[in-house]
Amino acid sequence: MSQSLSSLFEVSIDFDQSHLFFPTIVITLIALMALWIVAANAKQWVARVRSGELRLSPFNEHADKFRFFGTLVLVIVYFWSMDAVGQLFPNTGMGFLLTSIPFMLLLSLLYVHGITSRVLLGIGLNSIIAPVAAWYLLGQLFAISLP
Amino acid sequence: MEFLALLSPEFFLLSAAGCLIGIIFGAIPGMTATMAVAVCLPLTYSLGLHEGLALLLGLYVGGISGGLVPAILLNIPGTPSSITTTFDGHPMAKAGEPEKALKICIVASLVGGLFSAVVLFFFAPMLADFAIKFSYIEKFLIIFFALTVIASLSKNILAGIFSGLLGVLLALIGTYDTSNGGNGEYRLMFDFMVPYLETGFSLLPVLIGLFGLATIFEEAEKGIKEEDTHSQIKLKGHKPFHFGVFKGQISNLIRSSSIGTFVGMLPGIGGSAASVLAYSQQKNLSKNPEKMGKGAAEGMVASESANNALTGGALIPLLSLGIPGDSTTAVLIGAFTLQGLQVGPLFIGEHMDTWYSMMAALLFANFVMFGAMFFAIRYIAKVVMVPKYILYPIIIMMCVIGAYAINYGIMFDVWTLLIFGLFGWLAGKIGIEVAPLVIGFILGGSAEVYFVKSIESYGTLSIFFTKSPIAVVLWLLILASVVFSILMHRKNKRLANQVEEANA
Repeated sequence: MSQSLSSLFEVSIDFDQSHLFFPTIVITLIALMALWIVAANAKQWVARVRSGELRLSPFNEHADKFRFFGTLVLVIVYFWSMDAVGQLFPNTGMGFLLTSIPFMLLLSLLYVHGITSRVLLGIGLNSIIAPVAAWYLLGQLFAISLP
Repeated sequence: MEFLALLSPEFFLLSAAGCLIGIIFGAIPGMTATMAVAVCLPLTYSLGLHEGLALLLGLYVGGISGGLVPAILLNIPGTPSSITTTFDGHPMAKAGEPEKALKICIVASLVGGLFSAVVLFFFAPMLADFAIKFSYIEKFLIIFFALTVIASLSKNILAGIFSGLLGVLLALIGTYDTSNGGNGEYRLMFDFMVPYLETGFSLLPVLIGLFGLATIFEEAEKGIKEEDTHSQIKLKGHKPFHFGVFKGQISNLIRSSSIGTFVGMLPGIGGSAASVLAYSQQKNLSKNPEKMGKGAAEGMVASESANNALTGGALIPLLSLGIPGDSTTAVLIGAFTLQGLQVGPLFIGEHMDTWYSMMAALLFANFVMFGAMFFAIRYIAKVVMVPKYILYPIIIMMCVIGAYAINYGIMFDVWTLLIFGLFGWLAGKIGIEVAPLVIGFILGGSAEVYFVKSIESYGTLSIFFTKSPIAVVLWLLILASVVFSILMHRKNKRLANQVEEANA
């Protein structure tokens, strides 16, 4: 009896397949948890969606989609262009510097409420000084790799 | 005492600078201590280990403390852990005593920070000494225990476990590394991903994405609303502060600091849990509970001493077991890795100098925090007014530098930032909890090695129960945390039902 019990716990791992052993266990557990969560909450979710309390959209009710998607687009263009420009001037950090200035300017303009000439001056100065300072201090003085 | 040679003027300067930057991050609502550490990481790339850690610990202490400023003056918690400071701090400030409220909180913060640093100093080496004897089996069980604790204290147990497991799965993406005894095969990805994810997602870009960029997306969705700083209570011409307000608060200070330190030790539990627990405990024991929430000093003392005590507490499991106590210490793990150091049971014994210099930095940062906030609070109060349209672009820029430079110029790490920034934004909405996810992500790789190698050596699962008395104790602890969480869950459900019935 005790032998059959101990043989129940015996596990041998094939070395060639050992990279999948633990991930399979974790994925199985995640699937079980997901099923459990759905089973425990499905009724409540359906009721809340029907009553309009739970929204299927990932956005909040009064989401500022303009600023959200504006941020997303600017970030994607920033990351992409930083690499592209960086390849034109390798190992100089210019990809970072030349793209950060317009990125920061545009993002600040996207975020600001109520533009006055003073605010505009602040934004303009910040979007030039901050990247130049970061580029000089971190990239040049501290020799940190920049795109 | 060789470590004294490490304490250069630069060391103290960086610790102080970190503390001041941390206070600014903490004082701006929406920016946290974790974000401060994540965003400022690139500053440490070219520094030595000790200077880098001095800066980061300063940021940590400053970041946790700074949150009290807007909590009191604006009724907005600067960091989640200062939520309970608003309960009494703002009413007292509104009643004409803002300076007194701020200074009570600053002193309580200092006491909490120092208390936890002392506990850390004595307790972490003891725990590490004990943990040195652990084999892979006990190490796996410790990770398992950490994950059950996180899950059991999550807002929703099922979501907590799910998030932790998801973090583990994310950590497994990439090669099953031969240096850990793996077979060098890829898993959990398509062939086209191999060039990018050969070694999996890098820790720091993931963390910077989750704690830096995700916050910006959340704020962008809300429309980047500037705080209404016109309603900020001015600090001029009010009654001065006297230390006499602490009369009768000693037991409160010690109790709340102990609660904060203990909560800090539990992995994945943030500062808000520490301060809420200390606050409610004080309310239960108070002689005048009716005064709490209306400007009582004892409420502020409980809240602030607990959330600052979190700092030392969260460093205990990090330095003795390699398990971060909260999300900020999770980022600190990244800083250690960057310097080629592995934190775990051997760390303190093998790096005594680093350990002592960290303690020095932590203590010094607490005093700088106190000095800066106590004497320059009027200027710090103005920081809250720095507009977000200026700050957020700078933060994204710093996030990019941090992610790109971490592996000496990998563009995919910058894209990782975006992937996890968006993921972090979405996670909160679908109920995935970020703290368990991050801890799972950090511990997932080790968990696999300990688990698979144990089975390969012994060929049976029963070894996890029979290896040693410590293993049995760990199983009992795991069981206790599961039972505790079920009981708590039931109690909360019953309370919710009662409230519902009462409302009906």
